[in-house]
Amino acid sequence: MSEECKNLIRDGQLTVNELQRFDVNNEQALLVPPDDANWMVTFDIWVEHQALLADRQFPVAVLIASDVDFDDGISHQVQALCQSDIALIAIDFPSYTDGRGYSLAQLLRNAYQWSGELRAVGDVMIDTVYYQARCGFDSFLIKPGHDAQLALDALHTFSDTYQKSYRQPVKNNTP
Amino acid sequence: MYIYDEIDQKLVEQRVAQFRGQTQRFLNGQLSEDDFRVLRLQNGLYIQRHAPMLRVAIPYGMMTSTQLHALAYVARRWDRGYAHFTTRQNIQFNWPRLEDAPDILAKLATVQMHAIQTSGNCIRNTTTDHFAGVAHDEIINPLVWCEIIRQWSMLHPEFAFLPRKFKIAVSGSVTDRAAIGVHDIGLQALESNGVFGFRVFVGGGLGRTPLVGKLINPFVAWYDLLTYLQATLRVYNLHGRRDNKYKARIKILVKDLTPEVFAQQVNEQWTLIKGGADTVTAEFVSAIADKFTWPSYKQLQDDDGTSIVHHLEANPAFARWFRTNIHQHKISGYSSVTVSLKATGSPPGDITADQMDVLAEMADNYGFGELRVSHEQNIILPDVKTRSLFSLWQELSVLNLATPNVGMITNIIACPGGDYCSLANAVSIPVAEAIQKKFDDLDYVHEIGELDLNLSGCMNSCGHHHVGHIGILGVDKAGEEWYQITLGGRQSGALKPDTKANPDSNANAAIGRVIGPSFAREQVPDVIARLIKTYLSIRESDVERFIDVVDRVGIEPFKKDVYMDPLLAKTSNLVRESNV
Repeated sequence: MSEECKNLIRDGQLTVNELQRFDVNNEQALLVPPDDANWMVTFDIWVEHQALLADRQFPVAVLIASDVDFDDGISHQVQALCQSDIALIAIDFPSYTDGRGYSLAQLLRNAYQWSGELRAVGDVMIDTVYYQARCGFDSFLIKPGHDAQLALDALHTFSDTYQKSYRQPVKNNTP
Repeated sequence: MYIYDEIDQKLVEQRVAQFRGQTQRFLNGQLSEDDFRVLRLQNGLYIQRHAPMLRVAIPYGMMTSTQLHALAYVARRWDRGYAHFTTRQNIQFNWPRLEDAPDILAKLATVQMHAIQTSGNCIRNTTTDHFAGVAHDEIINPLVWCEIIRQWSMLHPEFAFLPRKFKIAVSGSVTDRAAIGVHDIGLQALESNGVFGFRVFVGGGLGRTPLVGKLINPFVAWYDLLTYLQATLRVYNLHGRRDNKYKARIKILVKDLTPEVFAQQVNEQWTLIKGGADTVTAEFVSAIADKFTWPSYKQLQDDDGTSIVHHLEANPAFARWFRTNIHQHKISGYSSVTVSLKATGSPPGDITADQMDVLAEMADNYGFGELRVSHEQNIILPDVKTRSLFSLWQELSVLNLATPNVGMITNIIACPGGDYCSLANAVSIPVAEAIQKKFDDLDYVHEIGELDLNLSGCMNSCGHHHVGHIGILGVDKAGEEWYQITLGGRQSGALKPDTKANPDSNANAAIGRVIGPSFAREQVPDVIARLIKTYLSIRESDVERFIDVVDRVGIEPFKKDVYMDPLLAKTSNLVRESNV
């Protein structure tokens, strides 16, 4: 695998992103992806087909859009999501200036107690990963044109913090 | 003055390193214009009409003589020898080069200054009363609380990409001098059952849709302040509009939801974090307070001002300056002095590097090396011995820094306007100067008495025209500059002590009303003169201020006089406005 494909930061290391997004308009007219590794479905699909997606050998990842309103009658679905067997939750940043994902991450981590992997995807750049990590993200799919190694280094941009209720970025645990 | 500890220092230095890297990547073509734009804004750097503009924070308006010397150094080395104080206790340099910005910020970091979050859709510099810590009517000293909010809001990981900019103002006094009613969040200190806390107003602001903030919580105890702010910001971050920049401020969200529903949503979020890790402890408050150097005042009880009585009697010019530019200090024998940066002929709020150096020296010689910047764009020497006022005044007079106009019509709040700003529709500085020239008779200015005249070059309202007793707004009509006049605005938002009966009202802040069609630039001074003539003719006595008369009789008599005036009516009638 060539170095330039390693644009995913996970466990403090650069790696290749293997997740692929399930397309509802797929040729086979599948409602949910086959039970193979590395599928990601939207939160809407997960809500609609929870039963079909349960008990998989390869649990799906679930993508949450930045404009999902956790208060809007779907709180119990978010609750269920955070207690179910899924691979990870990803939050989309349609543009890096759309900061809703930071608050959604905080809610998932603190109000819904999501302790699994939380991934930032979309317009994720060297200059945003530090704040994203503090808000609870622990993996980051760096957008094209941004050097993922620099993004990994950027997790150490600041050595100290003022806000006590936000975590420190996950340290680089490569030796 | 708050003195940085090792962590504070490291953070600003690391921020400089981060921005240096970002600037480097941009200049090397590794960071697109779009990706770089917000990053540079969050470091105070705009691209303006002539050059980049760098806005440096003066947290809650407080600075030391060392810092002012450093600003003078920056002005000389990287700019053109002057700078501009804004209406938000910041200072702007108009001519730096983008390539130099990291070095400028590195220089500022050596004196514990920065430009972090002075622009962009994030939490901006928290502002307060320019007499904070020395005011005689203080309930609490807001400086410590402003520093607590500064730390909390700085590099805040959750709120760096809000729908729009976010401004917090704190008032610790009975009289609000921080304009808390026209901020995204206004905090008014108060005491309730022996516990002190804050009354929280949300959704005030100027700009296109001027609104006075709504009271969303009558009392948040001091220890809950940060979690309450966090909950408020979270509701805004999640639900504020992002589809239309003109409807993205929190005031629109509060208005759309209604203050009651908004308050309820804040409470829901607050419940999740209340009492959590960001709860303020007494230990933390005293640790912050201990990092301030507090002035060691001398006992001067014998001096209640008698030492300067003979000067006041013998020298009417000094007496006039004393009346307008001197403010009562909490410690007997001391006074706070406003150094007016509103001399006729120099752009309001502008200051030269030489003036900075001289004022820094005066702060050392006459005080404790501290200064304040007011949102009215003047400089305060907070701790001057009353008996030294006369010699200070003599020194200031030589430098043209003793204009006795604080609170007067010529103390014009103005944005840089079309001469510098690329957003402006019209110029501000030449209009301000023309008005100052029209009112060049100091006796007449003092006869008129207290009057706030505020001037903005466009709808963004950086010159706070909505809250001027007289407001002037520059508008563009078919490529020409026209000026709209408002009357009856007020900047003070806090409750007066006697309005306890109605705790839901935030009494004093008010948005001015437009009197009618706009005027051509040349007409503006005459229009103002006409308004003043009307005021003087109908006031009941000289204690009834301009704003009191507007409150009593409304804008009609003023309107009538202005538009009946054949000279003024003539051209203004040519331009009818659809939005009036």
